[in-house]
Amino acid sequence: MFFIKAYPIFAREGFAMFLQTEWDPGAQKYGVLQALVGTMLTSVVAIALAMPMAIGVAVTINEVLPSRLRTIFGSLVDLTATMPTVLFGLWGFYVLGPFLQNAVNTLAGGAVMTSPSTLFTASVLLAIMVTPYAAAVIREGYALVPKAVEEAIYGVGATRLEAVLLKLRYVISYVLGGFFLALGRAMGETVAVAMVVGGNYAHLTTNLFQSGITISSLIALQFGNARFYTYAEPALFAAALLLAIFGIAINTAAIYLIQKWQP
Amino acid sequence: MTSTRKVLNWIGMGLFVLLGVAATIPLFLIIIDIYSKGIDAINRLGGLWHFLTSEPPSPLSKSGGVGPPLIGTLYMTALGAIGGFALGFPLGVYIGEMRREKLANAARVGVNVLVEFPTITIGLFVYAVMGLVQDDLNRYILGPVSATLKAALGNSVFYNYVSWFVGPLDSFNAYAGAAALALVMIPYVALITASAYASVAQPLREAAYGIGGREFNALFIVMRKVVSRAVLTAALIGTAKIAGETAPLLFTAFGNNYYAPFTGSTGAVSLWIYAASETPYNVQIMSAYGAAAVLLTIILILFISARIKAIHD
Repeated sequence: MFFIKAYPIFAREGFAMFLQTEWDPGAQKYGVLQALVGTMLTSVVAIALAMPMAIGVAVTINEVLPSRLRTIFGSLVDLTATMPTVLFGLWGFYVLGPFLQNAVNTLAGGAVMTSPSTLFTASVLLAIMVTPYAAAVIREGYALVPKAVEEAIYGVGATRLEAVLLKLRYVISYVLGGFFLALGRAMGETVAVAMVVGGNYAHLTTNLFQSGITISSLIALQFGNARFYTYAEPALFAAALLLAIFGIAINTAAIYLIQKWQP
Repeated sequence: MTSTRKVLNWIGMGLFVLLGVAATIPLFLIIIDIYSKGIDAINRLGGLWHFLTSEPPSPLSKSGGVGPPLIGTLYMTALGAIGGFALGFPLGVYIGEMRREKLANAARVGVNVLVEFPTITIGLFVYAVMGLVQDDLNRYILGPVSATLKAALGNSVFYNYVSWFVGPLDSFNAYAGAAALALVMIPYVALITASAYASVAQPLREAAYGIGGREFNALFIVMRKVVSRAVLTAALIGTAKIAGETAPLLFTAFGNNYYAPFTGSTGAVSLWIYAASETPYNVQIMSAYGAAAVLLTIILILFISARIKAIHD
């Protein structure tokens, strides 16, 4: 379906559109490389921030908290996953963005981050949003560590921390599965990112502290006026096709990793 | 145990807890931020009832609300949830209970991929399908149906409701939005239903089939007790998820600031927040925060009732 809709732009530009960096429908330029780069950058940074937090959540819930608090803490994490993304976007735009701008500029001692809405803001927001998804997968795996293995670990005199690290290694494919699921989420997230990424779809930037664009936010921000240009809508469908292929590839990898481990 | 290992243990575990807590702090910050600014905004824009019923403020007006978007959200979420559950639940039973069938495996992989799929592509997909079928749908089905209905209803009060609810459809309409929401919900409900059925103890399953009834009775009467809690929770949380979705609605419902037929572009609270928060007008930004408070309340009610149900049983 996406391919059919995207066909006109492929017929005109070939796959070169994925290698061009200028999006300017008025001048008939439909490059999406800058969005592709933005998607990669934001999701990689987001994952780098989210994975430690996700592991922290899983360990805190399964190892540290007493069972009553465990339910409450678990509910809070689930609620974070259920929260509408547009509310994250609203908060990110008015609170997190200015806060990060202040923090970064103070730390760097200069105006490094020139706007509150940048790729970096989007990454931090994404990290907060995808953490529960990764945490849920890791917890699921964590619960599957056999009692005998756990007893063996403590039996040789391991401390709590050593036991945790060993168990995490035991369920490493779940940790990786959570990693890929969260990556897929981060790549596909639209509205919250569109609100804080800055909407700079015209030029390529690899500077995290500048306004940028991602594939999904390009679609969200540009679809409204796409119908005024012959090739803009096909180009956006081509971008969506790319996003869908990424989504399928990453999620399949995650599912493969998780299911491989199951008996 | 040497003291270095003890210290390392403390530092390590402390770090894990710190990271875990850090992941939940933003949740509190967001809730506090939205309620403190949102309630203030609602009061300044004309009080709760006015806010819930009136049309969104124009840049120059002093008061306004989220009436039309709220109706749109409720309508599309209800339809989407019904559709999502009606298709997701049987699919889940199929995947979970008839695991050995070839197709069930394919369905499981498909559902697993779909549940994590970028929701904006789901919206685009529905938009593309809508573009294909709209003409034919209107010409061959909805046109005649609405004409018949209008003729049958004559000049009763329901006459106008035909074009409000039935058709013909515009390219952006509430039903496309509901369909996109249902597509978001189906895999979620299916997955949880499947895992609930898969977790039914084998002896119970054998007993259920063993008493010789039809498979239907075994699935929906005997095992109902075991899975009902998980399935209900899935339905409620799934509804909460789609109530706040924005991306699938961007190109399907499109958004609308006025009380308008569901057959044309329809507003949603999430769409209004998205649109209003980036305007330069203070009154619209305020209304975005008020709308956020309303949306958050809906989500929290659904979420908490799901949790209470889960703890109660």
